Amino acid sequence: MLHIFEGGGRLAEDAVLAAMFEARKRVFVDLLGWDVPVLAGRFEVDQFDDVHARYLVLTDRQGSHLGSARLLDTRRPHILGALYPELCEEEVPSGTGIAEITRFCLDRRLRAPERLIVRNQLVSALVDHALGAGIHLYTGVAEMGWLQQILSFGWVCRPLGLPRPIDGTLLGALAIDIARDTPSLLARAGIYQPPVAVIEERRRAA
Amino acid sequence: MGMLAMAEGFGRAIEEAETSDDLREAISEITTKLGFDYFALTHHVDVERVPHASMRLHNYPENWVDYFDGNRLAVSDPVHRASHVTSVGFTWRELPQLIAMTPSDRMILALAREEGLGEGFTVPAHVPGEARGSCSFACPTGRPLPTHILPLAQLAGAFAFEGARRMWRSRTLGPPPHPVVTDRQRDCLIWVARGKTDWEISRIIGISPQTVVRHIKQARERYGVEKRTSLLIRTLFDGTISFTDIFRR
Repeated sequence: MLHIFEGGGRLAEDAVLAAMFEARKRVFVDLLGWDVPVLAGRFEVDQFDDVHARYLVLTDRQGSHLGSARLLDTRRPHILGALYPELCEEEVPSGTGIAEITRFCLDRRLRAPERLIVRNQLVSALVDHALGAGIHLYTGVAEMGWLQQILSFGWVCRPLGLPRPIDGTLLGALAIDIARDTPSLLARAGIYQPPVAVIEERRRAA
Repeated sequence: MGMLAMAEGFGRAIEEAETSDDLREAISEITTKLGFDYFALTHHVDVERVPHASMRLHNYPENWVDYFDGNRLAVSDPVHRASHVTSVGFTWRELPQLIAMTPSDRMILALAREEGLGEGFTVPAHVPGEARGSCSFACPTGRPLPTHILPLAQLAGAFAFEGARRMWRSRTLGPPPHPVVTDRQRDCLIWVARGKTDWEISRIIGISPQTVVRHIKQARERYGVEKRTSLLIRTLFDGTISFTDIFRR
């Protein structure tokens, strides 16, 4: 099941969001060792998790977290613009219709074949969401090992600059063009598997 | 030309290739533009044994390729092994920092140098659920690596691998390049990998020991292997099970 949250995530109010912040802590802090803030020892929440953030969260029927991604509006502070502008050789792409994919998170409890299914559903949901929301370009910062996977999804993806070593990893900035034919490109790569049920939980910004 | 413009040019050239000859030509040209002479892009499997289950594209010296294949080096090649322990490109000089080098590893590198392959840079390529691979760029013996260009070579390697992968997938189409086991067979395999006996596995997943034996036997048959160890190695290698599955929690 796909849950879409707009207008930010208040984790106290929603079990699905709370589970997502917990899953993010398990992946990005416990597994990948990122130096990012942790709330109450359980939730990974940073300065971009504000009322402007948008979330796509996949859960099972019981509401347990399977995977999630955060979308940031590039007209506002976002990761590439605020933290890693040096990864872009030219200006950081920003503006209407350009969103940054961040915190792409696959739950640690998933086994290898389930991970691939959840990953495919999440990528498909990101593309479908973009088409519905008028997003024509996604940007993102990726570690090099992840880059090979992003390329394998079959969408049109290009580097925004040369990869650089940052905090012990090699990071690169990418842009992904989203157009009407993107779902068929994903399908050709065997990736397009949109989640069956979509639950839109639009929240008004405070 | 700026490095980014070069990277974009590489991406386009790879995208436009329609046949594997086109692609080989495009990557050869990229290799030259990066300041190298040789490239090899490959899945890390024994090409002599499974010629169609894997892809390989290169312009290495023929003598070296014959020797490499003749001695079934693909799976034990130190460069390939090192690319399984990192996701970031590395120079061949860095090999001893990545893996424990054996005398035969050093011999392989020395032989490669004799055949004209000197210093090199390898970009590991791992797509989950598929055999691991890499894209290497090398200089003729005696010429130093174009160090300043390595970040660009990193990107070029990743895009080249994906270009080849896309072409190879569209040719092999349909079913995945490795046998598929059932969820139950997979569960049993993971417990075998964790060192459990058939009886222990039967208690853990709540089936009879005979059924455990049958699941594993059927999985072996799908892979056409005699031994459980071979089955574990094959399934780990092609991504049917992962180290994370075995060591989780």
